[in-house]
Amino acid sequence: MTTTFDGNTAHLRPSEQTLLQIKDLVVEFDLGGGRVVKAVSNVSLDLVEGETLSIVGESGCGKSTLGKAILQLPAPTSGSIVFQGTDITKLSKKDLRNVRPAMQMIFQDPVSSLDPRFPVSRAVEEPLKIWNRGNEMERSAKVDELLNSVGLDPALVRDRRPYEFSGGQCQRISIARALALEPKLLICDEPVSALDVSVQAQILNLLQDMKEAYGLTLIFISHDLAVVKAVSTRIMVMYLGKVCEIATPDELYSNPKHHYTSALVGSVPVPDPERKISATLLEGEPPSPLDPPSGCRFRTRCPAATELCATEEPMLRLAADGHYVACHHPRD
Amino acid sequence: MTSMLKLENLEISFATNRGSLHAVKGVSLDIDAGESIGIVGESGSGKTVLSRASMGLLAPTATRTGTVTFDGKEISSLSREEVRETWGTGMAMIFQDPMTALNPVRRIGPQIMEGLTVRLGMSKADARKRAIELLGRVRIPDPEQALNKFPGQLSGGMRQRVMIAIALACNPKLLFADEPTTALDVTVQAQILQLLSELRKELNMSMVLVTHDLGVVAGHTDKIAVMYAGEVVEYATTKDLFARMRMPYTEALMKSIPRLSTPSGSRLPVIEGRLPDPTKPEPGCLFASRCPYAQEKCHTQHPDLTTDSDGHQYRCFFPLGAAQ
Amino acid sequence: MDSVKKSWVFRITIAWFALIAFFAIFGPWLPLPKWDQVFDDALSVTPFKQGHILGTDSNGYDIFSGVVYGARISLFISFTAVFVGGTIGSAIGITAAYVRGKFDYVVSTLFNVVLSIPNLVLSLALIAVLATNVDPNVPTSTGRRIMVLVISLTIVIIPILGRIARAATLSWSNREFVLAARSMGSNDRNIIWRHIVPNVLPAIFAVAFLAIGVVIVAEASLSLLGAGVPDGTSWGSMVARGRNDIEFAPHIIIIPLVCIAFTVIACNYIGDVIRKQLDQRQAKL
Repeated sequence: MTTTFDGNTAHLRPSEQTLLQIKDLVVEFDLGGGRVVKAVSNVSLDLVEGETLSIVGESGCGKSTLGKAILQLPAPTSGSIVFQGTDITKLSKKDLRNVRPAMQMIFQDPVSSLDPRFPVSRAVEEPLKIWNRGNEMERSAKVDELLNSVGLDPALVRDRRPYEFSGGQCQRISIARALALEPKLLICDEPVSALDVSVQAQILNLLQDMKEAYGLTLIFISHDLAVVKAVSTRIMVMYLGKVCEIATPDELYSNPKHHYTSALVGSVPVPDPERKISATLLEGEPPSPLDPPSGCRFRTRCPAATELCATEEPMLRLAADGHYVACHHPRD
Repeated sequence: MTSMLKLENLEISFATNRGSLHAVKGVSLDIDAGESIGIVGESGSGKTVLSRASMGLLAPTATRTGTVTFDGKEISSLSREEVRETWGTGMAMIFQDPMTALNPVRRIGPQIMEGLTVRLGMSKADARKRAIELLGRVRIPDPEQALNKFPGQLSGGMRQRVMIAIALACNPKLLFADEPTTALDVTVQAQILQLLSELRKELNMSMVLVTHDLGVVAGHTDKIAVMYAGEVVEYATTKDLFARMRMPYTEALMKSIPRLSTPSGSRLPVIEGRLPDPTKPEPGCLFASRCPYAQEKCHTQHPDLTTDSDGHQYRCFFPLGAAQ
Repeated sequence: MDSVKKSWVFRITIAWFALIAFFAIFGPWLPLPKWDQVFDDALSVTPFKQGHILGTDSNGYDIFSGVVYGARISLFISFTAVFVGGTIGSAIGITAAYVRGKFDYVVSTLFNVVLSIPNLVLSLALIAVLATNVDPNVPTSTGRRIMVLVISLTIVIIPILGRIARAATLSWSNREFVLAARSMGSNDRNIIWRHIVPNVLPAIFAVAFLAIGVVIVAEASLSLLGAGVPDGTSWGSMVARGRNDIEFAPHIIIIPLVCIAFTVIACNYIGDVIRKQLDQRQAKL
């Protein structure tokens, strides 16, 4: 069963408008012995400058792999990634390196994102040193500026090591470091998942502030639907390496068209004792990405699956204004 | 209603090289048979230490005062070996990370059967039958096959079910669930919480659900205790807690958690400041430095727990919704 | 760390290292008889008699001088073997773990093969091959013998420290800060030197000290087998010379054995201290 090349791109906007356009991205890992992990399968997405696109899904859906593949860490198996007009998958090592300052990433584990032996000033200065931006004094001033903008007092933190800080503070340091090269695109891979609840809000607010201050475009990867709602312009739901649905947050949560999205939304615990436990409880476990189901990958757990779903893979189609869903029998 | 677990003035501190760390300060709780209570707090609130202490699982470096009474028997003065007798048949615990709670080099079957053979004295054949029955009850597909699997061959959700099966093997009267779903995907979390609620009702078991997630406790508990910096700051029935919140901390917590109903693109209200240092006792209310409603009195005097007419307890001089 | 620094064990250990280092460095200039000076009138003398602090052996050699001169050879050989072997092994191990793939496969297989051969067998085989001249009637020079000894022990050490370096690198190169460095555009050379090596070095150091102990014992065993240093003395060769006199003059072998044992224990202790420091730091992370 082959998928046509332009099949899953209904949701893409004209390429002149976009900062980033990804077409048919495939990331597969060969484990040897004929076993291949199909982590990301024919995913297309795009970003307009100033947007925040969130990618949500549960473990094994490929969202983290997707984020890293955009940065070519490691390079995807196939597909095109057009960033600022250039297909970066086709670039030489040297040219790719030159693009890197424009796309940066922050990671899930705040503490292991920082070299434990580097004092904070050195960690934040590192990108500037790599690219020889300014002399020592200028770099030091920039480091102070960055630390201030993420809410840390340079005098207090400059010489200390990561283990002396809390998770939230480490994440701030990582953000400062990521912003050192003034990137256009910032990919946030589960940036608040490892943090305490009350700290999450601080970091989310910080990201919003930085986005405005530095004119960033964000890709926000998370498994937490509620967190994602607060920060996104658009949300993309992934399941087992495929895109299920894309819509604006309000539209997605009030009117989920894909059965997986609706189960996901229904499973989020709500701090309201009057709310009945949702009946759309998903049974079973996700299948292995080594051997995903044929046709629609969600069909093994979908209440609305039919024979068609096993033979033909659904493509993303327009369901409502700005709302695309990949399902043969979307919810009304 | 018979009291299953009663904590009276529990104080727990640890000796560290920075001084004495007061993890739990004067906590008193009462859990009846068949009741489910949630203990909500962030890291540093003392909730995990509290649940470990109630079971007698604290490290020897901890000092504990106050009493723990389980099923009418005072267990706080018992030796470690004696307390161990209550485990399995009396109290059981499930933990956050199923991978580290299960022995990775031992098959599932023997891990479940161990409690049955050692505690209940069952024969191997009987224990095996019961293990299959338990795995079926926690909805593991193909229980007989599963007995021979290693924990590493199962997914996170499956491993958590196995841990529940092990905990329930000897029909305990009280189950501690310490952040049981924090490490799981949200759809799996929903399944596990549903499973716990069903099993609880079936076995008429009490449950203490320790978590940081107010959403999780909302749907699965009868009463909730909110902890902050080692103290219980609010304690009420679940309905009452959400309907008439009294503590500014609880309110701030509710507000700072992003929810599906939060309008997109909005800034979230944040609890400013940091937790007080647990090695340095401070005068006044422990939340005062971060409380938007704090007044003079709050910084100098330490509020005790007040109980209002509905049994709703709170630790505040100026609770929300009350006449000033 | 402070509690360790103040403890008696630590102080004694440091004192011992200082002492044998002193002997090793300044030995020849001390006002002592040379190690092979024969005292005909004082054979197999027990300690503190006839002006010999630690006595003499059956050849009339002063044992104290032997200890002093022996420290030189024993320490020279072990430090060199561990330093050179450690550097080579670490370089290979770190590269293999960072690059992964076929190179890593080959390297770890090689390491495992060499490690599976007992130290003594391996070093004897190497000495036999490298130290004998084509013409069996010409004895090999001392210099060559020493070099061969050092080389063979170095080869023994390479996979020991190499494997440690490889394991440590595997664990560190998966950390997110390495990924972050790559995403910033840092090249592999910088990542290895600035991020991986500093983090991996403590683990290697901890084992390096243990390795020194291993080499000292290995060298002693080789001397006992006659494959050690012919024209100088090491603690091992002192044991070798004195083994026939165990019955009636045990001090001849006990003293060098005690030196070996103390040094190995001291090395193990320091290695352990480093490891504990490392674990504590890791725990904070």
